[in-house]
Amino acid sequence: MRLRFDDSAEAFRLEFREWLAANRPSPAEMAAEPSLSTGHAPQWARDWTRKMFDEGWLVPGWPPERGGRNAGPVETIIYMEELYKARVPRTTNVQGLGIVAPSILDYGREDQIEEYAMPILRGEKTACLGMSEPDAGSDLAGLKCRAVLDGENFVINGQKVWTSGANYADFCFLFCRTDPDAPKHKGISIVLVDMNTPGITVRPLPEIIHPEHPDLNEVFLDDVVVPAANLVGELNNGWAMANGSLAHERGMVWLNNVLSDEMALDELLAEAPARLAALDSDMERAVMTDALVRLQIDTVAARCLGYRGFAKLVRGGDAPEQALMKWFATELRQTIALVGAELEGDDAVRMGEVVADGTQSVDDPQGSWLEQYFHSFANTISAGASEIQQNIIAERVLGLPRA
Amino acid sequence: MDFEFTSDQLELRDNARAVLAGACPPSLVRSVFEGNDDGGVEKLWSTLVELGWPAIGVPEADGGLGLTFVETGLVVEELARVVAPSPFLATVTQFAPFVRECGGAGSPWLAGVAAGELRGTLAQGEIAEEKDGSSYRVFGRATHVLDAATADEIVVVTRGGAFVVPAAAAKIEPMPVIDPTMPMATVTFADVRVDGDRVLVEPGDTRGRAGVERAMGEAITAMALSCVATCRVIFETTLEYAKVREQFGKPIGSFQALKHRFARMYLEVEKASALAYFAALTIAEDDPRRATAPSMAKAAANQCQRLVVTDGLQLHGGIGFTWENDLHFWLKRAKTCDFMFGGGAAHRAYLADALGLNPSAKVLQFP
Repeated sequence: MRLRFDDSAEAFRLEFREWLAANRPSPAEMAAEPSLSTGHAPQWARDWTRKMFDEGWLVPGWPPERGGRNAGPVETIIYMEELYKARVPRTTNVQGLGIVAPSILDYGREDQIEEYAMPILRGEKTACLGMSEPDAGSDLAGLKCRAVLDGENFVINGQKVWTSGANYADFCFLFCRTDPDAPKHKGISIVLVDMNTPGITVRPLPEIIHPEHPDLNEVFLDDVVVPAANLVGELNNGWAMANGSLAHERGMVWLNNVLSDEMALDELLAEAPARLAALDSDMERAVMTDALVRLQIDTVAARCLGYRGFAKLVRGGDAPEQALMKWFATELRQTIALVGAELEGDDAVRMGEVVADGTQSVDDPQGSWLEQYFHSFANTISAGASEIQQNIIAERVLGLPRA
Repeated sequence: MDFEFTSDQLELRDNARAVLAGACPPSLVRSVFEGNDDGGVEKLWSTLVELGWPAIGVPEADGGLGLTFVETGLVVEELARVVAPSPFLATVTQFAPFVRECGGAGSPWLAGVAAGELRGTLAQGEIAEEKDGSSYRVFGRATHVLDAATADEIVVVTRGGAFVVPAAAAKIEPMPVIDPTMPMATVTFADVRVDGDRVLVEPGDTRGRAGVERAMGEAITAMALSCVATCRVIFETTLEYAKVREQFGKPIGSFQALKHRFARMYLEVEKASALAYFAALTIAEDDPRRATAPSMAKAAANQCQRLVVTDGLQLHGGIGFTWENDLHFWLKRAKTCDFMFGGGAAHRAYLADALGLNPSAKVLQFP
């Protein structure tokens, strides 16, 4: 046990910080052409992803031919912290880089890697992740979107919903049912679908905050014909791969959640003294001060808990902290925004200014505290709602019997 | 930050757990609760001394093992897991740190603790000092002094300084407490004369006073660790019970209403435990964050035990409400640890000052 990373890790931090300062897209450049959804990559974002790929900074833990430098997990943490603090996204296509590309690299054929995964890494293509459906949210394995093998092709019919970035993405990593007679976990396959294939209709779903830039979409598939060669991995093995795909997401997501908590809390504490001074009574100040202190304690706890899970992951063990972290850190972000709004009093209802710096995504609450509060539900609902995380903890970590 | 224990630390923990399973069974705890201990408490202390545990945090120069506060914390946790009736907390995490941090290196007291020959505790409260030639006279009263009745020496923190006073010089009145494995007393100093060689911190010595703050951080963190370790046992016991207790034809732990409560309890235990070890690390590495981390740990322990004691008792149902079931040993220990050295409100108030949110900030003091 120790508090600090070693000298070589801190040297890595300096090296990346310097590289980042010299090579990053400027805030003006980013603001001039904001990203319109997580499937949309403006030119600066494409150039930036490509530059990171070429110089081994896109996914530091991967080998150079895949945009990395074989960095260790501690270096990866440092890298993500520095990027987050600089407010520079690695990519605007979060699902593409975070889930779709690594999944294709893990399970796809060489030609699929060349045609779909590498273009994401080089900033040439964007991808969306077709998982949730109207009747398959928390019960994802109940998905119904049907792919029928017809000679050399799949014919796909069905509907997806909450598909981030589908309105701009080049292709979809689509989960569909290929064996309706098998138990629900065993009849699912993954197919790569170009979004310009005839029969696909995308309907954006404007969100609760900032409806002018919808990231979420409904995707309707009517007799969409896709080459059978676009199957990823084995037929009917999609559920097992889904768990692998999401593991890519869960391994480091805690860090972004904690960084989001920390940055929001720093902002809140910076404005707190003036807000507290403006309150009507000492008693109200005391009540609100206690709320702020609780947030501070929880934010430090989130970082410590994240590191505790990380230490286990690094050593190859199980880390039940991942489910705890998803639940705790996203709820904490919500509470920070809520306390921020309550501290503002009636001025909380004022609309915030949207900072179009090109980094906003549904995962990154922005705007006034009250808007951030509403926006934060994106994270407590998606990728396994808080209640699902609690079930996972109760059943898989604590061993409580299924009902 | 690396939060994994080293193999040496894990070995220490496993050994401690194995030893205490035999040396401190629930029957020993029950005998203390029922007032019929027949030498078991003394035998337990002898065992701990034979194992060298009191020496853990004492510097090697003073005859100790010179290990860090993380190792001390591991032992504190294991003792808490078995609700050990032992002067370890008072001697090793209260008396010894004050002596060590307040210029008492090389004194016979640390060597005495390391050798297991000296039991100590800490008294603070409404106590004043008055200079008398090269000596001082100490007046006043401290309440809730842990293990005072069996202590040999007492660190007395007065308004201005800190002293080591022989327990025999004080009037010690034990008080009835809800957890008799943590016996407490009111300690009165009626004009006790303290010679110069027993002065740890001269009144007015601000650097010495900083040692008081550092030592206080150790005592607070030990109490937080003790509280959380106790909560973890309550949580584990309740969890196992929910797996076997059947109603409506199935284990009660299969009901989602209970599952979510267990998930929440687990979160609070893990949070409080992570913060307690974070605090232990700031002490072990003498990191500047040791000024606030112990209070965060203690405040988190407060939140943890509020939930775990409540749900632990509630989810056991009637059986947990009985004297015959052992659960109440842990419930009462968790509560006792919570109230010692400041509860949640006191520590959050201190943290509010540390965060600069209170314009009339005061220095941290705990009754």
